[in-house]
Amino acid sequence: MQDKIIVTENLVKRYPVGDGQFTALSNINLTFEKGEFSGVIGPSGSGKTTLLNIIGSLDSPTEGVVNVMGHNISTLTHKEAAQLRNMHIGFIFQVYNLLPVYTVFENVEFALILQKRNATERKKEVMQALEWVGLENMANKKPSKLSGGEGQRVAIARAMVKRPQLVLADEPTANLDAKNAHSILQTMKKLNQELNTTFLFSTHDQKVMEYLNRLITLEDGKVASDILKVGNGSPTEEKNAQIKTAQ
Amino acid sequence: MIKFIFKAILRDKNRSILPVMVVAIGVFLTIALSGYLTGMLGDIVDQTARFQTGHVKVMSRAYAQNIDQLPNDLALLGIDKVHQELENDFPDYTWVNRINFGGIIDAPGSNDKSKGQGPAMGMAIELFSESSGEVGRLNLTNSLIDGKVPEKSGEVLIGYEFAKKLKVKVGDELTYMGNTMNGSMTFAKFIVSGTVRFGVASMDKGTIIIDFTDAQQILDMANGAGEILGFYKDEVFIQEQTEQMCDVFNAKYAQDPDEFAPIMKALGEQNSMGTYLNLVNSVSSMFVIVFIMVMSVVLWNTGLIGGLRRYQEFGIRLGLGEAKGHIYKTMIYEAVIIGTIGSIIGTALGIGVTLLMQKYGIDISGMMKDATMMMPTMLKSKFSLHLLYIGFIPGLFAMVIGNMLSGIGIYKRETATLFKELEV
Ligand SMILES: Nc1ncnc2c1ncn2[C@@H]1O[C@H](COP(=O)(O)OP(=O)(O)OP(=O)(O)O)[C@@H](O)[C@H]1O
Ligand SMILES: [Mg+2]
Repeated sequence: MQDKIIVTENLVKRYPVGDGQFTALSNINLTFEKGEFSGVIGPSGSGKTTLLNIIGSLDSPTEGVVNVMGHNISTLTHKEAAQLRNMHIGFIFQVYNLLPVYTVFENVEFALILQKRNATERKKEVMQALEWVGLENMANKKPSKLSGGEGQRVAIARAMVKRPQLVLADEPTANLDAKNAHSILQTMKKLNQELNTTFLFSTHDQKVMEYLNRLITLEDGKVASDILKVGNGSPTEEKNAQIKTAQ
Repeated sequence: MIKFIFKAILRDKNRSILPVMVVAIGVFLTIALSGYLTGMLGDIVDQTARFQTGHVKVMSRAYAQNIDQLPNDLALLGIDKVHQELENDFPDYTWVNRINFGGIIDAPGSNDKSKGQGPAMGMAIELFSESSGEVGRLNLTNSLIDGKVPEKSGEVLIGYEFAKKLKVKVGDELTYMGNTMNGSMTFAKFIVSGTVRFGVASMDKGTIIIDFTDAQQILDMANGAGEILGFYKDEVFIQEQTEQMCDVFNAKYAQDPDEFAPIMKALGEQNSMGTYLNLVNSVSSMFVIVFIMVMSVVLWNTGLIGGLRRYQEFGIRLGLGEAKGHIYKTMIYEAVIIGTIGSIIGTALGIGVTLLMQKYGIDISGMMKDATMMMPTMLKSKFSLHLLYIGFIPGLFAMVIGNMLSGIGIYKRETATLFKELEV
């Protein structure tokens, strides 16, 4: 039980649309363990973002139970949910990751300010995080002066600076070229191994899938397949594949 | 966190400049207009006090009742006794005699023909008594266009437009025709000692000023006066104090049935001056209220536009684990900072303009040519301490309300919805 970081039981999410309802997620049962490097794939509109947002406590399930690090997402207040994200969850988004008025340093620092950490500690941690992603020289630059890849790396540094247990990355490579995509994926993989941080991706990107240990495919809000890979091999080389949940 | 908000305000010009400008302009207008209103209405009150009402005025009861008709037949008599009493009871005031009278002025020309003729408003004041301070009070020396202030009996000062109409110059003779206190005809000859510009169109066109003692003689008003005006020696007028004085004075005569017994009236009770005084206050406060409402709506809208632009930022901050309530709170802090900056700028500008307008004023005598009201011909503002907060507080207030209103929209949105605005 201890190392189960995310558990969803019969998770259903419906959105009101006009008079009726639209089912974005139906009956999702998934379990993620600590240290996993996994991803949700599927066509556009299949519910990937919705799933990540619910796990990240930005949204709540219509039915079912979602338990993240021992917290039932449905019963959290706004404040408690914010606290959970603040302390334990790092977010990386597809675009607009950074606050344009702040420097690279300040963008990363923001996460620690919310945790009310003191200035010396913040400085040390921020510089450490920027080193992880190889941007320690860019600390005083504004986001507008960065390339897309550098911007995403700052976002990774910001997600990682508070050493969260879980990082949720929603299509982090969507705007990157192949070289940058590989570079940030390697960075994340490294952090996953060094800090044992759990990563959950949402992606259409073949390059991302190559790095993942587990691939969950969503189709029309349902889990179509859940494949666990052994080692770092590509999906075609998969050994010991097992379907955990399929409906 | 406050430091972070500050940085954002300083760096994001889009976020700060427009609201700072809106607040600054609003605050500036409030202060400049309020200073102007205070100045203008204050001037009217002051001018009226000097020329017509005094800070308080003592008359006979009957005169007070018919004051519009210049009823010198109802004038107060035995004024030496009244003066004694007033000076004893209210030593902080200067008490001066006045007689307002009407009549016809004729300017005799050569060979018995008249150069000009016209109805005149006569004002008799204590011209020759230095302690009365009347020459200075009516600013006569500075208002002279030509000649000098009368120095001896039989001299007259005349409004410069009136002099033009009568075609008289300094040194010319004028004949006054009118009625004595008792209703018989009276004539008197005067020498024009000077022409004046009162700065009040109606007076410039028809007023003559003679010495009080001359008027007593001509109008047969020995030991009598139409009015005794009281001026507070500090010249700063306190409405409540004058009202109290009137109560004290009038109580002494409450039992006296004589319709010629003296009665004292405060400035606020005369010439609808009370209404003016209240107007000063209510116009200012109305303006402030309207200002807060208009500014709030404007800032609400700029806040909404800004808020839409900032959904991204809010989404990121939510993702980072900032609570919605905290984001809302920081928006309010931001409003306080921006409102303060805008208010400081607006207050500085407003007070600057007010001080300039107080010093130099704007000459509107051209526009006032036909005015019959007692209106000053210079627009002057007046600085008072309340200008320091009259714009500042509403400016801050409007900015905070504006941001609170626009923030509610953000607050009400579902977290996830806000967050999805990130995906374009
Ligand atoms: N707030 C909402 N109200 C109504 N429908 C919504 C809402 N949010 C998402 N949906 C719908 O739910 C479905 C799943 O959306 P979601 O964003 O999770 O898809 P996705 O898999 O992330 O797609 P993409 O790959 O394009 O990012 C979509 O059909 C979407 O239109
Ligand atoms: Mg998505």
